Amino acid sequence: MNAKTLRALAPLVAVAVALLVPLVVSDRFILKVFTFAGINALVVVGLALLFGYAGQVSLGHAAFMGLGAYTSAFCTVELEWPWLLGFVAAGAVAAFGGLILAIPALRLKGYYLAMATLGFGLLMSLAFTEARPITGGVDGFTGIPFPSLGPLEIRSAASLYWLVWGAVGIAVLVAHNITSLRPGRAMRALHGSELGAQACGVDIVGVKVRTFVVSALMAGLAGALYAGVVGFVSPSVFTLTASITFIAMTIVGGTSSLAGPILAAVALTLVQYVDALIPGLPRETAQTIQSYQEDIYGLAIVLVVIFAPRGLAGLWKRRNAGGETP
Amino acid sequence: MLAVVLVAFLAMIVAGCGGSESDTTSEGSSEDPIKIGAILSLTGTYAGLGEPEKNLIELEVKKINDAGGINGRPVEVIIEDDATDEAQAVAAASRLIEQEGVVAIIGATGTGQTMAMRGDVQRAGIPQVSMAGGTVITNPVDPLVFATPWSNTIVVPFTLEYMQQQGITKIGLITDSGGFGKDGQAVFAAEAPKAGVEIVADETLNPGDTDMTAQLTKIKNSEAQAIVMWTAGSEAAIIAKNATDLGIDLPIYGSHGIARQEFIDGAGEAAEGVKLAAGKVLDPSLYGEGSEAATVADDFITSYEQAYGEKPGMFPGYAYDALYLVVEAAKRVEGDLTPEALRDQIEATTGWIGIDGTYNMTAADHNGLTVDDLQMYEISGGQFTPAQ
Amino acid sequence: MSEFLQFLVAGLKNGSIYALIALGFTIVYTATGAINFAQGEFFMLGGMICVSFTELGLPLPVAAVAAIAATAAIGAAFELLAVRPIAGDNPLRIIMVTIGGAVVLRQLALHIFGPDERALAPFTEGASLKALGVAVELQTLWIWGLTALAVVLLAFVYRKTTFGRAMRATAIRRDAARLVGVNAGMMVTVAFALAAGLGALAGVAVAPLTQTAFGVGAIIGVKGFAAAILGGIGNPITAVAGGLMLGLLESFAAGYFDPVYKDGVALVVLLLVLFVAPQGLLVRAGRVKV
Repeated sequence: MNAKTLRALAPLVAVAVALLVPLVVSDRFILKVFTFAGINALVVVGLALLFGYAGQVSLGHAAFMGLGAYTSAFCTVELEWPWLLGFVAAGAVAAFGGLILAIPALRLKGYYLAMATLGFGLLMSLAFTEARPITGGVDGFTGIPFPSLGPLEIRSAASLYWLVWGAVGIAVLVAHNITSLRPGRAMRALHGSELGAQACGVDIVGVKVRTFVVSALMAGLAGALYAGVVGFVSPSVFTLTASITFIAMTIVGGTSSLAGPILAAVALTLVQYVDALIPGLPRETAQTIQSYQEDIYGLAIVLVVIFAPRGLAGLWKRRNAGGETP
Repeated sequence: MLAVVLVAFLAMIVAGCGGSESDTTSEGSSEDPIKIGAILSLTGTYAGLGEPEKNLIELEVKKINDAGGINGRPVEVIIEDDATDEAQAVAAASRLIEQEGVVAIIGATGTGQTMAMRGDVQRAGIPQVSMAGGTVITNPVDPLVFATPWSNTIVVPFTLEYMQQQGITKIGLITDSGGFGKDGQAVFAAEAPKAGVEIVADETLNPGDTDMTAQLTKIKNSEAQAIVMWTAGSEAAIIAKNATDLGIDLPIYGSHGIARQEFIDGAGEAAEGVKLAAGKVLDPSLYGEGSEAATVADDFITSYEQAYGEKPGMFPGYAYDALYLVVEAAKRVEGDLTPEALRDQIEATTGWIGIDGTYNMTAADHNGLTVDDLQMYEISGGQFTPAQ
Repeated sequence: MSEFLQFLVAGLKNGSIYALIALGFTIVYTATGAINFAQGEFFMLGGMICVSFTELGLPLPVAAVAAIAATAAIGAAFELLAVRPIAGDNPLRIIMVTIGGAVVLRQLALHIFGPDERALAPFTEGASLKALGVAVELQTLWIWGLTALAVVLLAFVYRKTTFGRAMRATAIRRDAARLVGVNAGMMVTVAFALAAGLGALAGVAVAPLTQTAFGVGAIIGVKGFAAAILGGIGNPITAVAGGLMLGLLESFAAGYFDPVYKDGVALVVLLLVLFVAPQGLLVRAGRVKV
C-alpha cells in the first residue's frame, strides 16, 4: 500500500472508526452530540469537495441544508410521504437549488462569486422566515417524525448515529470517486490553473457546476437528517453564522483531503457541547467556552489562512513530506 | 501516517467518553436534589425579559433551600439560555431532559420558544410551565403544558374594552411575526368585532427589525384612531420612537410584554402616554391594602429590590409564579416524585395566590387567571401609573 | 402624495447610509482590487464605540469623532494584521481572511459591549420637521449633511491633493506608483482606514434612529456592497448613486408592498446585478474587471 492509497483511505478509516463508537458509548446525549458532528461532517465533505477540488467558494451553504431540512419536514408532516421519499426529495430540492445558483454564479469569479453565494444564503434565510404556510416562519416547523426505512422507525440514539455516519461514509466514497475520475485527476494536477486544465480537455464549467450541485446535494441530505434527528427546524438554524461555521471546519481541516475536514467538523462540534463531554466541568467554565465558540471559528479561519493555507492536514503533510511549497 | 493519527485520535475520543451510564431519570433517593430545568432568554431580543427571570429564580431557590427545600430535599434549578431562538430552546430542552434528567421544565421566556420545545416535552412526558403569554400555549390544552402570564385571550378583550370606553372604534395594529405577536394578531382579529372595534390597518414586522417607519406611515394614513402594538421585545421601543418621529399623534396601546423598565428607557420621551394592561403587581395597593395578595406582592418587590437594587417588573413575577407552581405542587406529591405525579398536582392548584393573581388550574384551563387580575396602566413621568 | 414623499425621505435617508458603506467598499476595491467582507463590521463598531464613549461621559460630538477615529485605526490594524500577511492576490484567501476577521470583530464587540441593543441620543434634540405632510427627523438632516460632506471631502482629497493622487496611482498601477516613490503598502493601509472611518460615520449617524447592537454588521455590509455594484464599484460617484438608488428601491417596495420584504429587495438587487450587469448600471460594460 503506497502513501497515496493510504491517504485516500484515511477518511474511510475515520468513518469506520466512527461507526464503532456506539458499541462503546451508551450515554444517549453523547451519542446525540456525535450525531450532530456527523451531520456537520456531511455538509463539510461537500464543501471540501467544492473548495479543494473545484476551487469554488460558497458562503451560503447553510441555505442548502435548510432547503433539505424544510423539504423533508414538509414531505413527511404535511404530505405524509414515507421518510425515505422525503429524504430523496430533500436531496433533489437542494441539488436543484444548487443548480439554479451555480449556472449564473459560476460565470463570476472570486469576490463576486463569493458575494453571490452570500446573497443567496441570506435570501434563502429570508425565504424560510417569510414562507410561513410552508415553513412555519419564525416559529419553525415542529413535530417532524423520526427517520424510518419503510415500517422500521429509527429512533434510538445509536441507530440515528449509524444512519448519519453511514451517510457520511457514502458521501466520502462519492467524493472519492469524483476526484479520481479523469477530469478529477487533471483538475488536481493543475489545481489553480484553469487554463492548463482546459488545455488538457477538461470541461471546466461542467466540472464546476456538477461539483457545486453535488455539494449542495450533500448539504441538503444533511439537512433532512438534522430534521429527523431533532424533530424541529427553524430559520435560525440555517443562517450566515452557520455557513461560516461550515467554512471554518473546511478550512481548518484543509482541503487537500477529506479526513481533515471531517476531523475538524467533529472537533469543532464537540466544542459546542463541551459540558456534555467532560462531566466534571463546572457550568461557568462550560458556558464561557461556549460563548467563545464563534471567536474560535473566526480566529481559526484567519490564522489558518495566514499561516497554514492548506489547513491542519496540510501542515501535517508538509512536516512529513519534507516541505512542499504551499 | 495521517490515517494512524486519525485512528488514534478517534480512539481517544471514544475511550474518553465510554463508560458513561445511559438514561438518567431523576426519581432518585430522598437525599438527591430535585432537578428542575429552566429555559430563559438571557440574550437576544428578549434578554430584558429573561435576565430578571433568572435573577428571581436564583433568589427564590436559595430561599426555598434555606427553608429546607421540598420535603427535605434540596431543589436545583438548572438554567439554560435559549438566546430568544426557537432552535436553541429545543437544544436546551433536549440537554436538560437527556443529560440532566430534570423532572419539570420552567420555560420559555417567549411564546415561539415555548411552542418549539413541545415535541421534546411530550416525548419525555414531563410537565412544562411557561412564562410566555401566547394563547396557543394553553389553547388547545396540552396535558403537560401550563403558563403563568395572562394569556392573550384575557388581555386582548380587556384592552379592547378599555379602548371602547375611550371611544375608539378603529385601530391600526402592528405585530411581530414571532409567536407572541402573531398570536396577538389572531386574537385581535377574533375579538375586535365583538367589541365593536374595526382593525383598519394590520402591519407586521420581523423580530429584530430596527425600522418600522414604513408600517407606521401606513397606519398614519389609515383611519386608525389608535395604534396597537403587540410585541414583547426591544422592537417596541423603536416603534414608539418611530411614531413620535413621524409626528403621529394617536394614542399608543401596548401589550403586557412592554411592562418593563427597558421599554421606558429605550423609548425615552416616546414612552409617555403609552397605555398597556398588566398585573396589579406594578401597584400592589390595587389589590386592596392589607390583603394577602398585596402582602405577597409587596414581599416580592421588597426582596427583589434588596437583592438586585431595582424594582422587579412583570417578568420576575411570571418566573416566581412558575417556580412556585412547580415547587408547591412538588410538596403536595405523596410518594415518589415522578413527572406524572408532579403534573397532576400542578393541574390541581386551586386558589393559590401568586404575583400575577390567584391561580385556579383545571384540566381545561392551564392558565388559571382571569380579567380580575388585570389593570390598565399609562406611562406617565417615566412610571407605570394606573390609567383612568 | 404625502405617503410618497414620506417613503422618498426614508429612502434617501437609508440610501445615504448605504452610500457611505458603498464608498468604503469602493475605496478598498480601487486601492487593492479586493472586496473587504468586514466592511459592515466597521459600521457596527462606529455606533457601538460612540455609545460607549458617551456612557463614559464624553459629550456627543467628541464621542462621535473619537469613535470614527478609533474605528479608522481598527481598520488600519485589520489591514496590517489580517490582510497584509496574505501575500499575493489570491482572492479566495482574502475573502476567507476578511470573513474570519469580520467574525472576530463581531465577537469582540459582543464580549466588550454585551449582547443588548444600545441607544444613542440624537445629535440635536427636537421634534421632527414637518412640511408637505411629511415628517423629517432632525437626525435625518444630519445624515444627509454628513454624507454630502464626506463625499465632497473625499472627492477633493482624491482629485486635488498629492495624497489623493498617490492613492489613485496605486490603484491603477501599483508597481508604477512605487517607481515614482509612492509607498504602496501605506496607501493600502490608509485605504482601509478611510473605508473603516466612512463605515463608522454611517454607524454613528444612524444609531440614534435604529439603536445598534453587535450583530448589525453583516446585513449592512451586504446591502452596502449591493449598492456599490448597483451603481458600479470602480467609481465613488456611481457608488454613492447606487446607495441612494438602493435606498429608494427598498423604501418604495416596503411602502407600497410589504415592509417585511425590505431586506429582500437589497438581496434580489445584489443577485440580479451580479448575474446580469456586474459592472453596474451606471458604468458602461467592459470597463470593470469581474
